[in-house]
Formats: sequence, structure tokens, C-alpha cells
Amino acid sequence: MKKRKLALLLLLGSVLPAVSEAQIKHIEMRVEGMT
Amino acid sequence: MQQHLGRQDGVQKVEVSLLDGKVQVALKEDGRVDPARLIRAVYDSGVTVAEMDMIARGHIVKDSSGGIALQTQPNQSFAIVPNDLSSGLESLAGTPAEATVHGELYKKPAGKKKPDPNAPLRLLILEVVKKEP
Repeated sequence: MKKRKLALLLLLGSVLPAVSEAQIKHIEMRVEGMT
Repeated sequence: MQQHLGRQDGVQKVEVSLLDGKVQVALKEDGRVDPARLIRAVYDSGVTVAEMDMIARGHIVKDSSGGIALQTQPNQSFAIVPNDLSSGLESLAGTPAEATVHGELYKKPAGKKKPDPNAPLRLLILEVVKKEP
């Protein structure tokens, strides 16, 4: 049972940081009709 | 427009160049921003978005239509328009590898067709900046 919990923790530890690093870094737009 | 955009979640700073119509959106550290909401915010301020580009990092996943998508958050992904560059990313689908890409998310329809700010955004890859195993 402990081994399963440890394996789950290791799995989450490797997956969660990868997901949290994924993101939009920069956005740029060109717009029309500005006065 | 600057105020409309500045009020959106995830936006830290907005810089507008009146000369060429370029709008740079600086994002907060967590990168949790919804590009579709930014487009709607610009339209709400009475201005038309001609193009939107983004640089994003994420996982390549298979989408429901059999194509691939860039997943930037657990609840946010962008379908990728197939091209030469996207075919190089297909092998990453379903793996823990990440890709950083520069792409076009939105382009105003050509001609007199009325732009639809609610149209789903699709990512046309212009450059694969980085692939990380």
C-alpha cells in the first residue's frame, strides 16, 4: 500500500510541474480603427 | 482599448503603438490568460483586431477531430492548423514533451466579410522555438 502511495506521489511530482510550466508567454495584436 | 484589455485576467501591462497599430500584451507570471477574451475586449472598445500572435509553451495533444492541439493549461488548448511545421510536432502528441511555439491565433477574414470575435481560435504555427523532451 505504501509503495502505491509513493509511486503516486512520484508520478504527480513529475507531471504537475510540467503542466504548471505550460503557458502563454507573450501576446501581440495588430488592430485597426484606432483613433 | 488599453483599459478594456488591462482589466482582463492574466494581463499585467498593455502597450499600444498608435503608429502601426501594434498592441503588446505583457502577461502575469502564471500565464493564465484567455486570448479569446482579449479579442472580445478589443472589439468591445470599438477597435478591430486584424491579427493576433502568441508565443506559448505546452504539450501537444490529439484533439477530438483527429488533429493535434497545443495544451497550455489543463483546461486550455488550441487546435493547430496543419502545415509543414505542425507535422514536426505530431510525434510529441501524448508524450510528456513540451514545445514552445510562435504562432498566429487569429487573422481578420479577408474582404468585406464581417469579423466574428467569437470564432474559435486556431493556432497556425509560424515557428517552433523549442522542443523539450
